[in-house]
Amino acid sequence: MRVLVVEDEKKTASFVRKALQAEGFAVDVCHNGDDALAAARTTPFDGIVLDIMLPGRDGLSVLRQLRERKNTTPVLLLSARGEVNERVEGLNAGADDYLPKPFELVELVARVRALTRRGGENKSTVLRVADLTLDTLTRQAQRGETSIELTAREYRLLEFLMRSAGRLCGRMMILEKVWDYDFDPGTNLVDVYIRRLREKIDANFESKLLHTVRGAGYVLKDTP
Amino acid sequence: MTIRTRLTLWYAGILAASLLVIGYGTYREIDEQLRRDHRKEPMEHAIDETSELVLQVGLPAVLLGLLGGWWLTRRALGPVKKLTDAATKIHERNLRDPLPRTSNGDELDQLTKVFNDSLARLDDSFKRVHEFTLHASHELKTPLTVMCGEAEIASRDESLPSAERERAASQLDELRRLARIVDGLTLLAKADAGQITLAMEPVRLDELVRDNFADAQILAEPQGIKVELESCEEITVRADRHRLRQLLLNLADNAVKYNQPQGRVTMNLRRADNMAEFTIANTGQGIPPEMLPRVFDRFFRGDPAHSQTVDGCGLGLSIAQWIVSAHNGTIKIESATMKPTIVTVRLPLDTK
Repeated sequence: MRVLVVEDEKKTASFVRKALQAEGFAVDVCHNGDDALAAARTTPFDGIVLDIMLPGRDGLSVLRQLRERKNTTPVLLLSARGEVNERVEGLNAGADDYLPKPFELVELVARVRALTRRGGENKSTVLRVADLTLDTLTRQAQRGETSIELTAREYRLLEFLMRSAGRLCGRMMILEKVWDYDFDPGTNLVDVYIRRLREKIDANFESKLLHTVRGAGYVLKDTP
Repeated sequence: MTIRTRLTLWYAGILAASLLVIGYGTYREIDEQLRRDHRKEPMEHAIDETSELVLQVGLPAVLLGLLGGWWLTRRALGPVKKLTDAATKIHERNLRDPLPRTSNGDELDQLTKVFNDSLARLDDSFKRVHEFTLHASHELKTPLTVMCGEAEIASRDESLPSAERERAASQLDELRRLARIVDGLTLLAKADAGQITLAMEPVRLDELVRDNFADAQILAEPQGIKVELESCEEITVRADRHRLRQLLLNLADNAVKYNQPQGRVTMNLRRADNMAEFTIANTGQGIPPEMLPRVFDRFFRGDPAHSQTVDGCGLGLSIAQWIVSAHNGTIKIESATMKPTIVTVRLPLDTK
């Protein structure tokens, strides 16, 4: 997997590159929009991390150019402006995801991972991780022979985690996808819900499925 | 006493005084004439005649003077009243609308001009403050991103001693809090500058309230606080869904944070006077009356001792207030020391 990081702030670009490399991505870095367009023309990337505020040609303009050239590489926009409408503007311009600064690196990595795997998402109606199953039609959850009662929110959380099984899910990502919040509420909602969900799906079972990655997020997977 | 009354009285006083002078002069004249004619008891006659003269001519003259004075001052001070009316409407947001000028160059017109000039300067400095906040929040985010990234890496760096990692993790928490404050400030600065457009659409408020109720229960659980949804009528409003979620979560979060252990939070959603009315009440220490008008102020913390224990960015209610007013609604807080605090939000119904 090859990812292009377009970020003019050198330090940020550097640790984004390191974080992605640590996850096994090959990473190219550009510091301005024109270089990014040139790089995208010559190299087929699996994903692009694109800062909006760039010297000269800004990120949104780079994005529009790419899409005009029928380049469909998934793009994750980064922005320090954090404007309420910027997310919508970015998605309309053809971005696949949007992350306001300051972001958490794990969050960024998780999103890049999700982006580069897009299309490979589990679309079946019954989701399965080890002996945990979730029927998305009847909204029935079951672990082994035991059926599990879930509230509406717990169901949405579990469905999201199971659809991204094996992948790290950051707190912001969960808030966005499960709660539909586009802001950081500064509460421990996610952690509390995870704890309740864990009591239901893990507490009475030998092997644990829902794991906490400290300071990063959560991952639902078979092997620890 | 208004200037107008004062001026009229002075005017009448001057008239009366000049009448006295005239009266005295007349008296002397008559007296002298009588003496020349060798009449007896000239004094009494002179007084009689003078006072007759003064009463018959002077009194109507003074009354006329009073009326005239009243009319004159009214003419002179009319523009001042207009100016006062216009000035009472001055507000932070309409500083650019100047006060109406007569442009005839008189003293009042000069005053209006000076006033308009200082309004323009005030408007300018308000704009500068807003621009500053906007730029500051953007400039702050770049270094914040770097610091958060570095702290995050350090907090998970296995090669560091665990004490170092703990320190980095605690730093990361504070940095995130700082980031939330900067986010809140940016939002408010944008709102002040009128740069936020809301994505208005019909929104089922009762569904958002139910979601929020579920979240509030979760948030309240650790302190043993009981959350109740007493009523939740089916209501559709025209609103920006995300901002309403933010509003409801802010209010619920506050109701839980500023509560007592084993306390209660009570929510209601119903129709009232053709508006959607959401109330959220909590048990807690209440807000003393002198602090109540300031709770919507940015970074206002009621009790300095309390703010140590409650985590938050100090902008929650300011943001809530902005969201409500951007939806043409109203928000009010009722409370007193050791009494329940009730927040009432009213939003216009979706009329389509």
